[in-house]
Amino acid sequence: MSVEMTAEPATPKLATAGDYVQLLKPRIMMLVVFTALAGLVAAVGVTGQEINLVLATVAILSVALGSGAAGAINMWYDADIDAIMTRTSTRPIPSGAVPKDEALTMGLIMSAVSVLLMWIASNVLAAGLLALSIAYYGWFYTMVLKRRTAQNIVIGGAAGAFPPVIGWAAVTGTTPLDAWILFAIIFFWTPPHFWALSLVAHKEYAKAGVPMLPVTNGAKATRNQILIYTLILAPIGLAPLLTGLGGWVYGAVGVALTLGFIYFAAKVWRSEAGEADAGDAERKLAMGMFAFSIFYLFGLFAALIIERGFGLYFPLGGL
Amino acid sequence: MVDTVPTADAPDASLQLKAQKRRNLWLALALVAFVVTVGVTTAVRIQETDFSGGDRLYFSGYLDEVEKEQADRKAAERYEAMRAEEATQAQVESIETAETPETGDE
Repeated sequence: MSVEMTAEPATPKLATAGDYVQLLKPRIMMLVVFTALAGLVAAVGVTGQEINLVLATVAILSVALGSGAAGAINMWYDADIDAIMTRTSTRPIPSGAVPKDEALTMGLIMSAVSVLLMWIASNVLAAGLLALSIAYYGWFYTMVLKRRTAQNIVIGGAAGAFPPVIGWAAVTGTTPLDAWILFAIIFFWTPPHFWALSLVAHKEYAKAGVPMLPVTNGAKATRNQILIYTLILAPIGLAPLLTGLGGWVYGAVGVALTLGFIYFAAKVWRSEAGEADAGDAERKLAMGMFAFSIFYLFGLFAALIIERGFGLYFPLGGL
Repeated sequence: MVDTVPTADAPDASLQLKAQKRRNLWLALALVAFVVTVGVTTAVRIQETDFSGGDRLYFSGYLDEVEKEQADRKAAERYEAMRAEEATQAQVESIETAETPETGDE
């Protein structure tokens, strides 16, 4: 029997509660919960159907759990590339705080619990959509798309677009056009939002071998795509005004935010952001667009919640 | 056979045990929270469900439109019958009240 002194690749350290919270990707969870809540509130406002407050709370909790579960599965699978990139190297698995298997177990158990709770609190359709969105992000985006195609963000964006549809289905048991408009807003918002960040972090992705658009097609092509997707998003973001889902408040907020988004996209398009010789100003501009895109989505869905949840809906056609 | 000897950087065994106990406590609390959530949700669902009208507890939709129509029709019939019974009852009570001789104060 021989004894050999070996140091673990990542020295095990004692995991804190914060490490487990980080595993659930709390910032993404906040956005997911917020958009699901907007879908739920809009469904109540539009259809007049009511949902018990306890059941609504459990439904939203289920969405949060599902989002966290998908995040944990994503971190389990991506632990190897997370360790390579500086931005993600401090995450719980690469830092050695949480064992990989534990993260996977946690993700799978939370997935099952979230779908079960959603089913109990609302209906089969909402639970099915939640299960689909977890599988879409945890398996289809993470394991199939992310390392294979530069379109990973475009196709994978659907995973993050499901929450308002789930919220709507939790109340009504149906998914009408209005719910899918909210889906489309997030779907077309995701590429310009994420590519703005990847213009800054493209070297990291290249190092890890992740085929993000700036890595495969270059910064110029990415800036072009950011502008194109922003111009596609602009009318979709205002589509709730056509169906009557959004009223004056949504209209005012939506128009202002859309103009702001186009302004940022145009500035990024004209800049050298993402290029090898890009300076600090370009970096700040890309990060500015990334930050504004989050503000844009929060703003649109907040306007919807204010209108439909606080009785401030004034239809455009009525004036 | 190669054994791994913990390096100086590895956390102390007693600290690890402490951390494990803390994790177990959180797991137990999560389990309790899950059980309570399921219990409360089920109770609320049972209270809100009209089983006489063909509603189901965990499946709010209908797989078959004909089945839904039948359930709706039966529920409507039951409602009409209940209303008719209430109306008859009210009529009988009003007649009885009218027939009862008034008793004035002496």
